[in-house]
Amino acid sequence: MKTVLKIALGIIAALGGFLDIGDIVFNTQAGALFRYDLLWAVVLGTLGIAVYAEMCGRVAAVTGRPVFDVIRMRLGFGLGLAALIASTAVNLLTVAAELGGLAIVLQLLFDAEFSLFVVLAAIGLVIVVALLPFGGIERLFGYCGLLMIVFVATAINQGPDWGAVAQGFVPSLSSSTLYLYFVVGVFAAALMPYEVHFYSSGAVEEHWDESSLKENRLNAIIGYALGGVLACSLVVVSGYLFHPVGVDPSDLGTAALPAQNAYGETGLLLALGGIMFCVGGAAVDSSFSASYNLAQFLGWEWGRYRGPKKAPRFTASWLVFLFLAMLVVLSGINPVEITEYSVVFAVVALPMTYLPVLMIAGDRSFMGDHANGPISRTLGWTYFALILVLALAALPLLLATNGGGG
Amino acid sequence: VQCRRRRPGVAATAVALGVFLILLSGCGDLSRDELTRGVESIAALAAQGQLVANGVARDATKSTYARVMAKTLGGETEHEAEKLADAEPSPEVRRERNAAVQVATELADLFSELQTFPGDEHHGALVEKHMGEVGAQAEALVERLGGDAG
Repeated sequence: MKTVLKIALGIIAALGGFLDIGDIVFNTQAGALFRYDLLWAVVLGTLGIAVYAEMCGRVAAVTGRPVFDVIRMRLGFGLGLAALIASTAVNLLTVAAELGGLAIVLQLLFDAEFSLFVVLAAIGLVIVVALLPFGGIERLFGYCGLLMIVFVATAINQGPDWGAVAQGFVPSLSSSTLYLYFVVGVFAAALMPYEVHFYSSGAVEEHWDESSLKENRLNAIIGYALGGVLACSLVVVSGYLFHPVGVDPSDLGTAALPAQNAYGETGLLLALGGIMFCVGGAAVDSSFSASYNLAQFLGWEWGRYRGPKKAPRFTASWLVFLFLAMLVVLSGINPVEITEYSVVFAVVALPMTYLPVLMIAGDRSFMGDHANGPISRTLGWTYFALILVLALAALPLLLATNGGGG
Repeated sequence: VQCRRRRPGVAATAVALGVFLILLSGCGDLSRDELTRGVESIAALAAQGQLVANGVARDATKSTYARVMAKTLGGETEHEAEKLADAEPSPEVRRERNAAVQVATELADLFSELQTFPGDEHHGALVEKHMGEVGAQAEALVERLGGDAG
């Protein structure tokens, strides 16, 4: 019974923590621009992150090695360093975007200077991380992120043309560069590298071993699949409300409008609360990931469970990343723009994250009986091929569409 | 050594060419397409503003949310108006450019009113209605620009 409850709670935390500012921005914009046409890309991205998260969790549980440890081991120092620099740059942009998103939501709720909320948000995150253990941090943001279910309720309440919604799950391509840009954005937002860095390091933080493999599989498959439902609901509510009237949701606050439209002030508050916990959780995850990567690459003691005294450089680097992200947001760059760039640049860094994972997860000398089976292997390599194509297409599409501006 | 000596010259030429291209791209007349995109942005902002104002009119929002959204969207509208006003229009779209600036200015005023009265249902309803009218004007302008081109 205790195990079932533990697994259920893990799934709920994975579901609540699935969305971040990248998902919220890209999925809402995708719905506004292309109605339900990009739902298939959300499903494709969700399946991809489930496949790779399961692999990363399995590798961490069986070998005790998190992703960046594996990257260094498989790619060697030179390429490993390149991967570290690329992922650190992307992580820093991501932390800045999430922190900025958190400040935007606080401003929408309490209306004061944006810069004040940026500083308060950073201080709030430091306090939460200082007071709560690793599992507590995950549960706080994961459970409260479930407020995003208001978007599923909104989608049902709106009563869209379900036939058209179903049609959106059928993959389709277009010659429009803007459409292709959003295919890349929606897909990449679901597969941000920090998510697997955090997931696998979290497995080590929680002392997973081979007995945790079932929990890992259920968290990754069911938790992320349900998270995908939340992501799809963002596309649907936006496609229903914004697409017909031509709204361009370039502000994070606009994402909450459908919930307000359906349920009034209560809906608005639930939506803003959900967004706040999602981006707050992602700010912690991405900043932790930046520190995990650095510490694992350089061989430092790392882990929230060790505390600042036993892992001082890890703790200090986390604070530095958060501080640098705060400076980026305070420089005045729009957090939504930072989000778009972080997601697109993340696509370029994706192959260096996922190839070593795929190689080690399939290596029987490391993984023994827990190496990739035929399904994981096929899915893993198929997704890797897709990631390579998108990595090549991402920057040209970013330039051709003027950063999604058309 | 020769190569090293040549590099500053090459770099300077590249920089000069880059600056020239940047200046060139920013110096042309405001084309019909650019103007259409600008007016479309104004129409989209009006539609978004209408949804925010609708929340105020129905007492279905939080006043801080309505105020911050009105301020943000109003700022974007003013920026759009300034961009259009600063640009030098090509002669055949001068009249439409002036109309677009007027529509954007009117919309910015409505956002300003919403920002001042984010909890007043009566004002919310009025602003929502006027934003609908301004949005319709912007859309008519887009159609006119498209029609004239054809």
